[in-house]
Amino acid sequence: MGLMDQLEFLFFHFMPYTPLPADHKRHESLWVDYSNSNFDAATGHGLYKRYWSELLLADALRYDGIIINEHHNTPYTMNPAPNLTAAAIIPQTTCRIGVFGTPPNLGYPNRLAEEYAMLDVMSGGRLEVAFPLGTGMEYWANSVNPSTARARFRESLDIILKCWTEDGPQGYQGEFYNYRYLNPWPKPMQKPYPPSYVVGTGSPETIDLAASLGMGYSVVFIPTTAQLRVFDDYRERMAHYGHEATPDKLTIGVMAYVAETEQQAEEEFRPHVMYFFEDALRTTPRYLLPPGYVTVPEFRKRLSGPDVHGSANWDELVALNRIVAGTPEQVADAIGTWATEAGVSRLTLNLALGDMPHWKVEKNLTLFAEEVIPRLRGKAVVAVSA
Amino acid sequence: MSGDDGTNGDGFGRLRLDVNGTDTVVLTLGDASAPPLVFFHGAGTFHGFEFAKPWASQFRVLLPFHPGFGESGDFDDLREVNDLVLHYAALFDRLGLDRDVNLVGLSLGGLLAARFAIAQTHRLRRLVLTCPAGLRVPDHPMDDIFRIPPDQLASRLVKRMETLLPHLPADPHDIDFTVARYRESRTVATMLWERPFDRVVPRWLTTVGVPTMVAWGEDDALIPPGQAAAWAALLPDATVRLFPDAGHLLYDESPAAVSAVAEFCG
Repeated sequence: MGLMDQLEFLFFHFMPYTPLPADHKRHESLWVDYSNSNFDAATGHGLYKRYWSELLLADALRYDGIIINEHHNTPYTMNPAPNLTAAAIIPQTTCRIGVFGTPPNLGYPNRLAEEYAMLDVMSGGRLEVAFPLGTGMEYWANSVNPSTARARFRESLDIILKCWTEDGPQGYQGEFYNYRYLNPWPKPMQKPYPPSYVVGTGSPETIDLAASLGMGYSVVFIPTTAQLRVFDDYRERMAHYGHEATPDKLTIGVMAYVAETEQQAEEEFRPHVMYFFEDALRTTPRYLLPPGYVTVPEFRKRLSGPDVHGSANWDELVALNRIVAGTPEQVADAIGTWATEAGVSRLTLNLALGDMPHWKVEKNLTLFAEEVIPRLRGKAVVAVSA
Repeated sequence: MSGDDGTNGDGFGRLRLDVNGTDTVVLTLGDASAPPLVFFHGAGTFHGFEFAKPWASQFRVLLPFHPGFGESGDFDDLREVNDLVLHYAALFDRLGLDRDVNLVGLSLGGLLAARFAIAQTHRLRRLVLTCPAGLRVPDHPMDDIFRIPPDQLASRLVKRMETLLPHLPADPHDIDFTVARYRESRTVATMLWERPFDRVVPRWLTTVGVPTMVAWGEDDALIPPGQAAAWAALLPDATVRLFPDAGHLLYDESPAAVSAVAEFCG
């Protein structure tokens, strides 16, 4: 079976709060300390209802899955607790639901194992999860020590997997958590546990962690060429630990917009991509890297690395990332090429991005589902018959 | 004792010791046979130790870099202030500092000196707590140090910016300087991110009978001088001294405070 047969189209919705006062540009960061006095609950209520309708539309259009994520203290997302959103849409959908995801460090690992198991059982085994360490910003927003975050993260994953794969009651004696009776009800429906990914930005430690657990690896916010190197590293580590790195173990993120012509697509998409990179992601180096969040040598490396948070130039963005705006044919070609060069079957699709209005999301989701997906799957049929 | 006692041309001697696995550097001044005065620095070492030089005429001055600061190596599983108390008990043993030690601490080093005094009272002759951190004083609250943006921190540390200028890089984005500050703030976070207030001091400082001076700059813009009385109230034998025209880095700005320490410990 070829890669094109295995492609999975996953609609990733950040569910942002975008009706910000015009003066938000004066704020260095829209994370951590951007005042929540700028949040209006009535507006938020309207946005939740709108975003649910977009998630349900994706399900109706037969996307393979819906993905949501978690952040804190920011209009970047209205999902500080994505499991609540997942629970709200599970009864109304049939596609897979990806929670990509709650940083285990921000709560107790047994609670997260329980909540994900609940969602998996409630959905009849449709849950997928990704485990992030959490951005530096989450450590300013939560009372968790960034300097021990990585060690705590490893221990949390160990506990969650123990909850899911071994029968209780058990005990757990760790550095951060001590459990006398680890015996969570329910356990997941999918065996041994729901498809799981570790989220990372390419650091060797995280790649090794994912591979050592045989988990997938979900890379975020690094340039495409760097991602391809990371994928090779991941495959090497998976082989080292005796796991098979099938194409569904990795994800590639694509920001795509489909319209009647290339020019129209770019015109309709561009302002929202710019909003996303210039505004939604805008924060300070201090918030990105709280004390101890990375090692001292890694801190030195990042000081001289590129800054993707809050500065943007369209041509550069398009050159560095998987961003495509065009006709169905152009979008399908680009995605087919990206999936093939990466050897990856899972596509997380930002088809709603930044301050995109509802009509564009509806149009984009629909055109992508009706005109792009069949073209890519059509290639598979051609390949088989050839 | 291991290590050499050479100088770097900066007027300080250097001792280098392996303290239970931590590479530890101690700057030294003065005659080795003079009475010892140990100084515990605060959360940043970038302003150096020039202020300590006048003490050398009277004392054997020992200026250790805490693990994870300045020239000392890291203490990988450092988790709490008590880890440093134990580190210093081991270091003092190595240096023969069994008794009659004069201990001066500033800011984070003030908290550390208080915790060390609680656990190791028998080693001390005099104690100087200089604008110490770590006590919750509701009437005179301090800002959380991690909330202060780096570009505003310098002005919170001193009354006069010219005090700091010789110690700051010409380029504010100097990579080595920024990395060194990150490393030190990481060490502080390891101990204090979740619980910046000390649980032991309010309960146990009352057992430290060593004559103690609580010293503060009247213009301290980081930890309010109003906290001095709260520290003194916990100590059986305390004198409060406030010094005019000086900020948080008291000894960099107040020669009078430097002299007062020498006099108090003399």
